[in-house]
Amino acid sequence: MIRLAQNDAVVRFSKGDFQALAALLFRRYPEYEWATFARFGWRDTGRGLVFSLASVDPPGSGDMNESVGHVQIRESYSLRTALSAEKHPFAVGVIHSHPEDCLPAPSSIDNDMDGYYATYFSDFAPGRPYVSLILSRVEGTLTLSGRVYWRGGWHGVEKFAVETLPVTTWQARERNFRRGEARERTARLNSAFGSEAALRLRQCAVAVIGAGGTGSAAVEILARAGVGKLILVDPDRMEEANLERVHGSQPTHARQAISKVEVAREHVLAIDPTCQVEAIIGRLPQKEVVDAVIRADLAVGCTDQQHSRLALSDIAVRYLVPVIDCGVALEGANGAVTAQVIQIVRFLAADPCALCRGMILPATISQELMSEEERGLRRAQAEDARTRGENPNQYWRREAQLNTVGFLTTTAGSMAAGYAMGWLTGRFDPPFSRLQMNLLGRDLDVTDSAEIPRAECACRRIRGWADQANADAFLNAPAHWDAARWIDS
Amino acid sequence: MSRERIERELALLREGGQLADLFSEGRPLVLYRQVPTAGAQIGLPSAEDVIVPVPAGYPASMIDLAGLPVGSPFLGRARGSQNNQGIVAVAGRQWQLASYHPHNGGGGPPWDQMRHGFHTYLDQLIAWLDKLN
Repeated sequence: MIRLAQNDAVVRFSKGDFQALAALLFRRYPEYEWATFARFGWRDTGRGLVFSLASVDPPGSGDMNESVGHVQIRESYSLRTALSAEKHPFAVGVIHSHPEDCLPAPSSIDNDMDGYYATYFSDFAPGRPYVSLILSRVEGTLTLSGRVYWRGGWHGVEKFAVETLPVTTWQARERNFRRGEARERTARLNSAFGSEAALRLRQCAVAVIGAGGTGSAAVEILARAGVGKLILVDPDRMEEANLERVHGSQPTHARQAISKVEVAREHVLAIDPTCQVEAIIGRLPQKEVVDAVIRADLAVGCTDQQHSRLALSDIAVRYLVPVIDCGVALEGANGAVTAQVIQIVRFLAADPCALCRGMILPATISQELMSEEERGLRRAQAEDARTRGENPNQYWRREAQLNTVGFLTTTAGSMAAGYAMGWLTGRFDPPFSRLQMNLLGRDLDVTDSAEIPRAECACRRIRGWADQANADAFLNAPAHWDAARWIDS
Repeated sequence: MSRERIERELALLREGGQLADLFSEGRPLVLYRQVPTAGAQIGLPSAEDVIVPVPAGYPASMIDLAGLPVGSPFLGRARGSQNNQGIVAVAGRQWQLASYHPHNGGGGPPWDQMRHGFHTYLDQLIAWLDKLN
């Protein structure tokens, strides 16, 4: 018998890898089981381990006993997996199927197998977790259970998250799919997407990065739709000039310089007091913020900062968190508004990253990440250079002020939230990779840029590698940033 | 700061015979030891130590600047070294940062974190100390 200390692990998959995994594990379906070893990137978030499937080491001919219906792995396959673990940094795991409509509840055979492998692999991969997962199709629904052996104890899997594909997490002899009455407040949503979709939203956690004009609009839509948990991240405090855009804000918030996440949290709880809200004054990729975001089902990017966009792209690649990122720009000339642009970008693990897409300007992001002291110094040097008649740009490039207005940020944030809901419920996908539209253009000037990944980019190599690809992280949090902190509930 | 990435880049340099160390106390810096120069042609040393700051947020931020030991004969002769960008102390010595910006319009390729790093910045330093006034 294996006793779980607690259910605190999260296991993530990219959609493509999960579909390939399911095809492999169901090769003898619906009656018989099958299995594979796998490698997982992982991170200790302080609130539990988060795993992301990095690759599978499928069985070869003769690696499994096909004459029995249950999983029987031959020693040569186990040894090969263990020896390879000595050469890679990932957590080792075994994933097997249960017959159709048989719950993924560990059997006594499974218990024996896990007890054996937990000790066996710790000799070859010391200090790393051992992961054991079971996949089954129950009443037509992909259902998973899992447990993890780490530091002498067993931990249950609290949540499975597959990019854009709803799956059911089974725990402790009952599905973790809360049945219940659909709420009246989401009756229209229920009729549009189905009551199951509304219940799925209730089980989901969404991280919203940025609680300004776009972020506050996205948060409002998600809260009203009944999303169960919102993780809100923003470093800034309210100012008078934000009142035109930020949903839920009032003049008193600006006068008291309340943090934007505090305003958003209050607004969410006013809309739905049952929504769990985690409000963090901070930014990506600070450690505490990453720890919180990678436990969410999905992240919505709502900042106009390049470092935030790059960090979200990194999280999509390494931790397999699906991301919808949005931004706006308003252009003008000669006293007239000439363009009102909305951009919505999909970041899935298989998509080109923000670097491949050319969305990151090195000079701009370098300036964003500088300390205030360095910025001041650089600005002064640029002025000196200008005085000498030299090019000032090598010291400091003047930042163009991004003008935005409330209807534009609200439109962008609402669209991003809508596509997020499509993914969370499995009801629809964004029909684009990188959408740009100009509200003042003929037919809105809609374009979709389906960029191609660069062959030399790390994003092609480190998918699902989590902390084991820290050396390939796209960026790191500057030491001069204020420490991230939570707003107490 | 991405210690793992920087250590990997410095290991690549060591494979090629160039010594360089990361100093992470205070403002993080990389110290390149005995970078080749064109000084011998004008009666100066044929190699000099050079420091380079690790930019905040690296590798998203581009590597920029370069510094020479205070009192180095190359100060005033290497490009941008007349323009003092600050004095820093590291490895028991004082260093003067120069206005050298190869990846930001200063003659090198635009910064690309997938191609560039402290291992490739050595090329920029060699080029820097090869063209002396």
